[in-house]
Amino acid sequence: MVITLNKQIISKLILLTMVIAAASCSSVRVTNESVVEEGVRGVTISKKAPETQAILANATVYFEYDSSRLTSKSIQTLKGLISVLENNRNLDIVLEGHADERGTREYNLALGQRRAESVAAYLLSNGVSRNQLKTFSYGEERPAALGSNNASWAKNRRVEIK
Amino acid sequence: MTKSFISICIFFSIFSSAELLLEITQGSDNPINLGIYEISNQEKEHSLIKNIIQNDLIRTGEIKFIEGIDIVPLPENEEEFNYSGWKLLGLDYVVIPSIKNSDKNSIEYRYRVFDVSRKREVRSSTVFGLSSNLRQVSHYASDGIYEAITGIEGVASTKLLYVNEISLENEKSYRLMVSDVDGYNERTLLKSPEPIISPAWSPKGDMVAYVSFETGIANVYIQDLATGDRESVLEQNTQISSPAWSPDGKYLSLTLYQDGNAEIYLLRLRDKTLTRLTNHYSIDTEAIWSPRGNKILFTSGRSGSPQLYEISLRGLRSKPKRITFEGTYNAKGLYLPDANGNIFVHRAKSGSFHIALKYKRENFIRILTEARLDESPSVAPNGNMVVYAISDDNKAKLAILSLNGARFVLPSSQGVVREPAWSGFVR
Repeated sequence: MVITLNKQIISKLILLTMVIAAASCSSVRVTNESVVEEGVRGVTISKKAPETQAILANATVYFEYDSSRLTSKSIQTLKGLISVLENNRNLDIVLEGHADERGTREYNLALGQRRAESVAAYLLSNGVSRNQLKTFSYGEERPAALGSNNASWAKNRRVEIK
Repeated sequence: MTKSFISICIFFSIFSSAELLLEITQGSDNPINLGIYEISNQEKEHSLIKNIIQNDLIRTGEIKFIEGIDIVPLPENEEEFNYSGWKLLGLDYVVIPSIKNSDKNSIEYRYRVFDVSRKREVRSSTVFGLSSNLRQVSHYASDGIYEAITGIEGVASTKLLYVNEISLENEKSYRLMVSDVDGYNERTLLKSPEPIISPAWSPKGDMVAYVSFETGIANVYIQDLATGDRESVLEQNTQISSPAWSPDGKYLSLTLYQDGNAEIYLLRLRDKTLTRLTNHYSIDTEAIWSPRGNKILFTSGRSGSPQLYEISLRGLRSKPKRITFEGTYNAKGLYLPDANGNIFVHRAKSGSFHIALKYKRENFIRILTEARLDESPSVAPNGNMVVYAISDDNKAKLAILSLNGARFVLPSSQGVVREPAWSGFVR
């Protein structure tokens, strides 16, 4: 068996694996292979200009571990917000859900979304229009406090109202 | 003396740019003893290659190197190998390498593997590659040697995807990186001021999918590794996350939030048609395909706490079957490549999060790790190793454990490293 090689073989995705039964010893596995070329091109995203944020009502409500239920304290915060929204029907509100670092990132993304939806549901049931609300989640990606301890985690389980 | 000094200098100047460095913390109790011969006329190149091969094989946790094999001379006559001499040195297997430079830029690395106890040659292979790419040539050889010894395909030539977060004076920068499994040959696929999570390989390893928050809201993108071409898989005004490729590459499973809640959908990439897979008011996310592509494993909160469920894709309206019952948090499940078990994140009674394994035939789970916040497991394509992130006190680093007991960490020199994803076989 003769294998002819040219230089292109290196730069192309060529893989030659040949199993040849050698005459002298039938159990030898004989292979020839070429290393795959691995060109990689990266992409850079630059930061957008910071958007003008809603001046009104920068509030945050907090949650228990693995829970999206509103606490009585959260409801107090939201009551204040409702009166602001009732008087400003043109004001758009973003509800940004967050989770602490414990647990998996995708589950926390979903949990943050549930927290945002939980706040949205309360606002809707109190006369706020759905058109004024936008919900999304950052999961555990944007902690308000660093550190792997109860105090930091409590600050991170939140919905920021913007 | 001078010669060895020069080769050490070259070693460091070539490899000092690597950002992830290897630290072996624990190895197997009963390793296979291997020796590799030197090549007298190719000392410089071969010491580089030999070093890489040794590290690759030590990392499997199954192989130990015996030094001083050159005491046993190689015979003039090909047929008279000194098996008893090798046996006296305690060797189980012997590798005899040779190097041929067919021209200035390319290299042919030939290796022959001998089984000492059975007194026979078990493999004779040649790897062709560029002289500038000795690491790849070495990884290919490592995988061939490993396979000759164990019968299992090696993973030294496979890749890792991961996310690197760097904080500089309140400015955060997120990078999606790809590297060899030993942490070298690190390259940036995406650099962004907004978070990147959940990177996933296409089955062929030519594309990656990931979640990027670059528009301010989570969305899934597909990127071609070689060209850098990228696109968002769907345009919606709600977030999209958790991409996973079907084994045939035709579908992407996704978590959509169209109705405010996390639900799993299958996206056919050819025409972007969506099929809804879950419909429950609790969280359903982290879908992953079974090796044959006939089942989806996912995390659901439907029992009141996150647990793993499996749903068959054969037949309409098949009901999800609960897989995990131990403890109150089991998430981010994966299949072993032979589908005989699942790896996942498990919260212990202590409140710590560990990587756990449950074999199908067993009715208990095995805890594999012991740090406080372990996450993001990903399995090597041969099923022998798991890479995961240790993310305690914002010092996240990657760790690899082999299911036969070896462990090592890949600490980052810059920022934190997390969300590893092990590629399929690339050879």
